[in-house]
Amino acid sequence: MTAKKKAAAKKASTKKASAKKAAAPAKVVRAADGSYPETRILSANFGVKDSWTLPVAKKNGAYKSLEKAIKTMTPAEVIDEVKTSRVRGRGGAGFPTGVKWGFVPTDTDKAKYLVLNADESEPGTFKDRFLMELDPHLVLEGCLLCAYATGLDVIYIYVRGEYPLSIARLEGAIEEAREAGLLGKDILGKKGFNVEAHVHPGAGAYICGEETGMLESLEGKRGHPRIKPPFPAVEGAFGCPTVINNVETLAHVPSIIEHGGAWFGDLGIAPDPDNPRAMGSAGTKLMGLSGDIKTPGCWEFEFGITVRELIEQYGGGALDGRTIKAVIPGGLSMPVLTADELDVPMGFDALVKVGSGLGTATAIVMDDACDMVEACENIAHFFADESCGQCTPCREGCHWMEKIFTRIKAGDGTPADLDLLEHLFVNIEGRTICALADAAVWPLRSILRKFRHEFLAKMPGHADPHAADAKASDAAAPVGAK
Amino acid sequence: MSTANAAAGQSADRGTAQPPTPVSFPPKEIKKQCDGIVTRYPTRMAACLPVLHVAQKHYGGWISPEVEAGVAEYLGVSDSHIRGLLTFYAMFNSKPSGRHEVWVCRTLTCWLRGAVQLRSTALEKAGVEACGVESPDGKFLVKNMECLGLCEEAPAVFIDGQPHVNVTPEKLSELLDACE
Amino acid sequence: MADVKTVFINGVEYPFDAGQTVIQVAHENGLDVPHYCYHPGLSIAGNCRICMVEVEGDAKPQVSCKLECAPPPWVSEPLRIQTESELAKSARAGTMEMLLVNHPLDCPICDQAGECHLQDYSYQLGQGQASSSTAKTKLPKNVAFGEKIVYDAERCIKCTLCVRFCEEVTETNELNLGGRGDEEIVIMSSKGEFETDYSMNIIDICPVGALTSRDFRFKSRLWFMDFADSVCTGCARGCNVITGGRNGSMMRMEPRHNADVNQWWMCDQGRLDYRYVNTPTRIATPRIKTADGVWAAATVDDAILAAAAALKAAGGNVLVDGGCTLEEMHLAQQLAAALGGKATYAAATGEADGFLRVAEQGANAAGAELLGLARATKAGAAAVLVVERDANVPQALRDGADAVVVFATDADHVPASAQVVFPFGSSAERDGLFVNTDGRVQVAQRNPGIGPDNLTPPYELLEEILGELDAGYDWHGRDGIVAAIQAQPAFAKISLPAAQATAEVGATS
Ligand SMILES: Cc1cc2nc3c(=O)[nH]c(=O)nc-3n(C[C@H](O)[C@H](O)[C@H](O)COP(=O)(O)O)c2cc1C
Ligand code: SF4
Ligand code: SF4
Ligand code: SF4
Ligand code: FES
Ligand code: FES
Repeated sequence: MTAKKKAAAKKASTKKASAKKAAAPAKVVRAADGSYPETRILSANFGVKDSWTLPVAKKNGAYKSLEKAIKTMTPAEVIDEVKTSRVRGRGGAGFPTGVKWGFVPTDTDKAKYLVLNADESEPGTFKDRFLMELDPHLVLEGCLLCAYATGLDVIYIYVRGEYPLSIARLEGAIEEAREAGLLGKDILGKKGFNVEAHVHPGAGAYICGEETGMLESLEGKRGHPRIKPPFPAVEGAFGCPTVINNVETLAHVPSIIEHGGAWFGDLGIAPDPDNPRAMGSAGTKLMGLSGDIKTPGCWEFEFGITVRELIEQYGGGALDGRTIKAVIPGGLSMPVLTADELDVPMGFDALVKVGSGLGTATAIVMDDACDMVEACENIAHFFADESCGQCTPCREGCHWMEKIFTRIKAGDGTPADLDLLEHLFVNIEGRTICALADAAVWPLRSILRKFRHEFLAKMPGHADPHAADAKASDAAAPVGAK
Repeated sequence: MSTANAAAGQSADRGTAQPPTPVSFPPKEIKKQCDGIVTRYPTRMAACLPVLHVAQKHYGGWISPEVEAGVAEYLGVSDSHIRGLLTFYAMFNSKPSGRHEVWVCRTLTCWLRGAVQLRSTALEKAGVEACGVESPDGKFLVKNMECLGLCEEAPAVFIDGQPHVNVTPEKLSELLDACE
Repeated sequence: MADVKTVFINGVEYPFDAGQTVIQVAHENGLDVPHYCYHPGLSIAGNCRICMVEVEGDAKPQVSCKLECAPPPWVSEPLRIQTESELAKSARAGTMEMLLVNHPLDCPICDQAGECHLQDYSYQLGQGQASSSTAKTKLPKNVAFGEKIVYDAERCIKCTLCVRFCEEVTETNELNLGGRGDEEIVIMSSKGEFETDYSMNIIDICPVGALTSRDFRFKSRLWFMDFADSVCTGCARGCNVITGGRNGSMMRMEPRHNADVNQWWMCDQGRLDYRYVNTPTRIATPRIKTADGVWAAATVDDAILAAAAALKAAGGNVLVDGGCTLEEMHLAQQLAAALGGKATYAAATGEADGFLRVAEQGANAAGAELLGLARATKAGAAAVLVVERDANVPQALRDGADAVVVFATDADHVPASAQVVFPFGSSAERDGLFVNTDGRVQVAQRNPGIGPDNLTPPYELLEEILGELDAGYDWHGRDGIVAAIQAQPAFAKISLPAAQATAEVGATS
C-alpha cells in the first residue's frame, strides 16, 4: 500500500470510528402477546445489498472494532474483554472462548495459527454459511481480533468443500482486505501486526469439523482426530500453538470489542452461581430450524427463546394436518426432545438439564409422519458413514447399530435387539478418541428410550421383557460439556 | 459419502501390476494456481486437498492413478497417501465420474423432506442401480451425500457443483434432462 | 506441581520414569494388559481401545498405552489404576466384541492361529454378542503387498502398526490407510513393491493374521514347531532372532527384541536367508573318500580317525567361515597349531544399508579378529576347510585350499580335494558365541527341530580330531573351550557367558 493510500485509509477509518457509534442492542423482553423478538447483531447486515463487499461492509461498521483494539487496547485487554463477555464456543462444545485464547503461549518462537472452523458439517446446521456468504468481513474481522489478541501469524479458514459460495465470498473478502491493508504486513499501520489469511477447502468429511481431525486435514492428511493432550493451543497445526474457533464464535468478537464484554455478558441467560458447570449462555445466537415445519430458516436471538417459541413463532409450526413428534435441538448429535419437552430455553445449560444439549442450536423437527425406527437407521447410517475409522468401538459399533436398526425396520428384530443396542451404547460412548462416537449414541439412545413403543410395534408377537421398568428408565444421560 | 469404493485401486495383483506412469503435474493451465497454493503452507503435504480439488476439476471430475501419481510427485508424498485422501474425502473421485456429477443429500432433514424419492429419480435417470457407479452411457455419476448444509431449504441436490434446493422429483427430472 | 513418582496398579505401588505410560509400567512389572495398536518401538495411536483400564475416580475407562503415569498437574496423589476391575474388563470385552463383529471367525484356517492376539484375548474375554446374526462387511482379501507379503483386509483390525512402521522406522511410506469408517483398509503404494528391505517386520508386528508371509504361509501350524533363540548370521550386526523349525526343516526366522542390537527388527534378506539350510544337497552324515573316488557314508568315529590320519600326513593351515562360532574358531586355531600351520577366516563384504545391515558379512569376523585369526583375502592352501555358506567362502577359496578335511553344510560346496567330509550345521543348528560388529558377545542356540538328526556339534568333532593328532590336546567340552577363550588377553575385558547360558546376550567389550 502506498503511503498516500495508507494515510487516506487511516483518515477514513478514524473518522468512521468516531462518527458513528451504534447504540448497543439492549436486552430483549417478550412482548405482551408472548412473542420473542429477534436481536440482530451478527445478522445486522443480512439482507443488505452486496453486504459481502468491503465498501458496503465498511459503511456498516466493519473493521471498526479491529481499529479500536489495535489503537486503544493491548492484546491482553482484548482477551480480558472476551473473557468478561463469557462468550462460549458456538461450534457445539460451548467452551469459554476467552479462556481458550488465554491458553495460547505468549513466549514461543514457533509460528502461531488460527484455524477457523468453518466446516459446518453437522447435519441440520447452516448458520455459519449465512455468516460467510452474507458477512464475510465480519468473520474476517473476528479472526483478526483473535490474531491480535493471541499474537498469531496465519489464519486458515477451513471451509467445507460443499460450500462453494462461502469459499468464493471469503476469498473475495480476503482479497479486498489485503488490498485495503487489513491483511498482510503492519495491518492498519500497526508495526509488527502481520497476519495472512487463506481459505482451506475441505473435501467432504464430517469428522474434519472435529478440531483435531480438522488439523490433520489442514496438514494434508486423512481427517483422523488426534488424542488430546496435547491440546491444539499448545501443539496444533504443524506442531505449533493453534487457536481453533467456530465461525460464529469469532463473528461475535467485533461487537464484544465495540460494546464491551460486560454488555455481551448481560445479554442472554446468566450463569448459575450454585453450579460451576452452568456457565450461562451469554449474548445472542444464530438459531435455525429445518425438517417438518412450515418455514424453516435461520434467525438471531438473544438466548432465552424456548424451543417451542422458536418452532411456533418462527418455524410456522407443524405442517398442515401434522403434529410435531420430536425435535433434536442442535444439529443431529444431541439427544431428542419429545413434543412435551419443548418449553425449554435454547441455552447451553438449560438443555443439558433436560438431558439434551444446545449443540449448534439448529433444530431438526420430526412430525408424526416420521417413523422413528427409520429415523434411527438414517441417523446411524450418517455416523457409520462419517466415522473416520480409527477407533474400534466407533468404526465397528456405528455400523453394527445401523444394521440392527435395519433389521428392526424390516420386521426381523426382537426385543433382544433393543438390549443389544443398549449394550452397544455403553461400549461406544466414552470409549473413543473423539466425540463422534458419543454424538452417535446420544440421539439414538434417546430416541430408543423415548419412542420404545415404535420399536416394539415392529416386533409383533414379542412381549417387551422390560415393560415394567421401561417407564422408570429415564432418557439419555445428560450431555456434559467438553 | 461413498466409501463403497474404498478398496478401489487395490487389487489382489497390485503387487505385480505395472505402476501407473505419473502425468507431468501440474499441467501449464493450472501450474500457477497450484504453485500459489503450495506457498500458503509450511509443508507441501498441506497443499494436498486444495491441489486435488484443482486437479479433479481440470481432469474432468476424477483423479486417475496417473494423476494421483503426478500429484504425489509434485507434493512429495507417496501415491498411497494421495489414494488415502481420495478414498477418505467424499468429494474426490478415484473412478470416472460421468459428464455430470449429481449429489443427493441423504441425511435426516432431507430424508424427512423427500430425499429418498430424489435418489430414486436420479438413479432412474442415470440408469444405474446404486449410487457411486457411473451410468453406462458415461453421462451421470449419482452420489449419496451426507448433509450439504442447505437443510433450511431441504431437500438439496448438487449438480456439477451447483446447489439446487427445495427440489421435487419433477424438478430434478427437469434439471437432469437439461444436462447434455 | 506435586512430584509424584509412583503409580498404583491393582493396589501395588510401582515407581515410574518421567513420560512412562501405564502400559509400560504394567508390562515391565509382568502385568498383562492386552494391546493391539501399541508397540514400544512406534508412536502411540491409541486407536484399538483394547488396553483400557480403570482410573479410580474416573467413570470413563482410559487407554493405558496413552495414559501417562504422572497425574495431571493439579493432582498431588499417585494415580490408582485397576486393570482387572469390572469397568476395565467390561470395557475391554466391549471392544473385543466390536472387533469380532466384522472379523472372519476362521481361526482354523488362519496362519496366525496360535500367535494371534485377537484369538488370545477373545478366549480370555469371551466372545459376547459378536457371533450374532449381523452380516459382516466384505473387504478385499489376498492382496499382494509386494512379493513377500499378503494382506487380508477382513482380518485387519486397522491398528496402523504396519503403516506406522513404514512411516517411522523405515521412513519409506509404502503403506497408508484407504477408505473410511468400517471400509477402512491398508493400501500400498502403486509401485507395488517395498523400497525398504525391512518390510517383513510388519508381519511380526501385525497383531492378527492380516499380514502373512508368502514364504511361510500355510507351511506349518505353530504348535508343531520347535523354536530357539539365536542370532542371524547374515551380516555382522547379529540381529537377535528366534528360529522356527520342524522335522529337520527350518521354517522361518523372526527377530527377537534387543534394544542394543536390532531393537525389534531384522532385514528381509537376513530373514529369508535361512532357506539355504533346507537345500536338498544338505550333508547329513560324515563321508570318506574311497579308493575309487566316491565319498562313502561313514560313522562319526571312522571319519574322525580318517581325518586325523589324513591331516597327520598333510599338515598345514585351517580356513574357517567367518560365520563360525568363537568356539569353533578357537579350536581351528588349536588345530592349525597342531598341524604347524595358521588359522584364517573368510568373510564376504557387502553393502551397509544405513539401518541394521552392515557391510561386514562375517557374522563372527569381530570374534575372529579378537582371537587373532587373519582374514583370508585370496586363495591359499589349507588342510582343513569349514564352509557354512557359499557367500563367505566362495568357490575360488574352496578350490584353492586343496583341503583334505572339509566341514560343509551343502554337498555342492565340497571341493574335489576332500578326503573326509563332516556335516556342518547351519547357524540355527549350532550352539555357540558370536561377537558382532559392535563387539557385543551373543549366544546362538541350537534348534533341535532343524537340520539332520544326531548332528555332532562341530566343536566336539574338532576336539576329537585334535585328540587323535597326538598333539597333547585335552578334551575340554564346551565350558572348557569357553574358559580357554576367556583366559586369552584379548578377552580380558569381555565376559563370555557360560556355555549353558540361555540369556539373550552377554556383555559388550
Ligand atoms: C464430530 C464432531 C464434529 C464437529 N463439527 C464441528 C463443525 O462442523 N464446526 C465447528 O465449529 N465445530 C465442530 N465441532 C466442535 C469442534 O471440535 C470444536 O469444539 C470447535 O470448533 C471449537 O470452536 P468453538 O470453541 O468456537 O466452538 C465438532 C466436534 C465433533 C466432535
Ligand atoms: S470416535 Fe470415531 S470419528 Fe472419532 S476418532 Fe474415533 S473412529 Fe474416528
Ligand atoms: S494389517 Fe495388521 S498391522 Fe496393519 S493395520 Fe491391519 S491389523 Fe494392524
Ligand atoms: S541386518 Fe544382518 S544380522 Fe540383521 S537380519 Fe539382516 S542380515 Fe541378519
Ligand atoms: S440434511 Fe440435507 S442439506 Fe442438510
Ligand atoms: S493398545 Fe492402547 S489403544 Fe490400542
